[in-house]
Amino acid sequence: MSSLLRKLTLLSNSSLRNNYGLVSICSKFMSTEPAKETRPTVRKIDVGAVDQLKDFGRYVAECIPKYVQKVQIAAGNELEILIAPEGVLPVLQFLKDHHNCQFASLVDIAGMDVPSREYRFEIIYNLLSLRYNSRCRVKTYTDELTPIESAYEIFRAADWYEREIWDMYGVFFANHPDLRRILTDYGFQGHPFRKDFPLSGYVEVRYDDEKKRVVVEPLELAQEFRKFDLSAPWEQFPNFRKANPAAEEVEINEKK
Amino acid sequence: MMANLLKKTTGLTGLAVAQNPHHTLGVLYSKILRALQKIPEETTYRKCTEALINERAKVLKENQNVDDIERKIGCGQVEELIIQAENELILARKMITWTPWDPLVQKPPANQWSWPPAKPIN
Repeated sequence: MSSLLRKLTLLSNSSLRNNYGLVSICSKFMSTEPAKETRPTVRKIDVGAVDQLKDFGRYVAECIPKYVQKVQIAAGNELEILIAPEGVLPVLQFLKDHHNCQFASLVDIAGMDVPSREYRFEIIYNLLSLRYNSRCRVKTYTDELTPIESAYEIFRAADWYEREIWDMYGVFFANHPDLRRILTDYGFQGHPFRKDFPLSGYVEVRYDDEKKRVVVEPLELAQEFRKFDLSAPWEQFPNFRKANPAAEEVEINEKK
Repeated sequence: MMANLLKKTTGLTGLAVAQNPHHTLGVLYSKILRALQKIPEETTYRKCTEALINERAKVLKENQNVDDIERKIGCGQVEELIIQAENELILARKMITWTPWDPLVQKPPANQWSWPPAKPIN
């Protein structure tokens, strides 16, 4: 089997040269007359390339059905692989080392906090395959107490990214070689990117003339707890009432 | 062999010119195929990887010249092919312990992947 991503690379090259390869793929989207340009400033999505990405997502789901919960295309052309938290290491290792993937570069690890969910934190790995000029995103979830396996053994780049997430969200990474705070000040308490972290923080810092040093004191006028009533009597974005869903799901065959 | 002697560098930082790439690749491919033997036969991972490695091994067998191999496989220089094969070998051996072809280990909780998120219950 030749690589799906390889085909994708060829496809994107051919779309630059505009030769027969693209025409045959996109013929069903092209009528004989050029369609009238109605929204020239809106980004156009290469439908053929998205189809290849969907195929690749299905391929990953078939190879490692134990961990892949869902595959979806977000923002029109971005592949997202949503996995169970047990599968972080196998999935990342597969995407990095398999001949047809070769996502050898870890671009970033991001976190996300959605307090209404059972597992409130999402951990998001952004990967880049230099070989096939392709990107994908791996998402998993956890809560405050459940540790996630550290990706340090697979990607050395994960070291500081995971420290950042530990600092900002308080997600614990098991087997990380050096899990310390990285961005916040010495002696800082709490995790600032959590949704329940008060906007004003817990302490304030000022220079004390008598003591001739900087003192840290509990905040006056503390914001009790971040809870906003954002509901309004009118509808904010009526134009987007019938907007497309944020992500398009790719059908995968679930193994029984 | 001449092409090999003429090649001074791969042009990639930290990647040295392989001394005997034909032999190294052959050994690696046979090792991968041996590792894949331990994986259940009907799994997609084994089928696809076996097909791909067999294809590359065939090209390797039919051509002695390094340039021909690189052009026919079309996935970078032979030194990069060696790295890819080493990675696949490590992966295949780890796959045997992970058994990722089993059914889904854990279903996501409802609304875990929904966006915009569900409203909190007050």
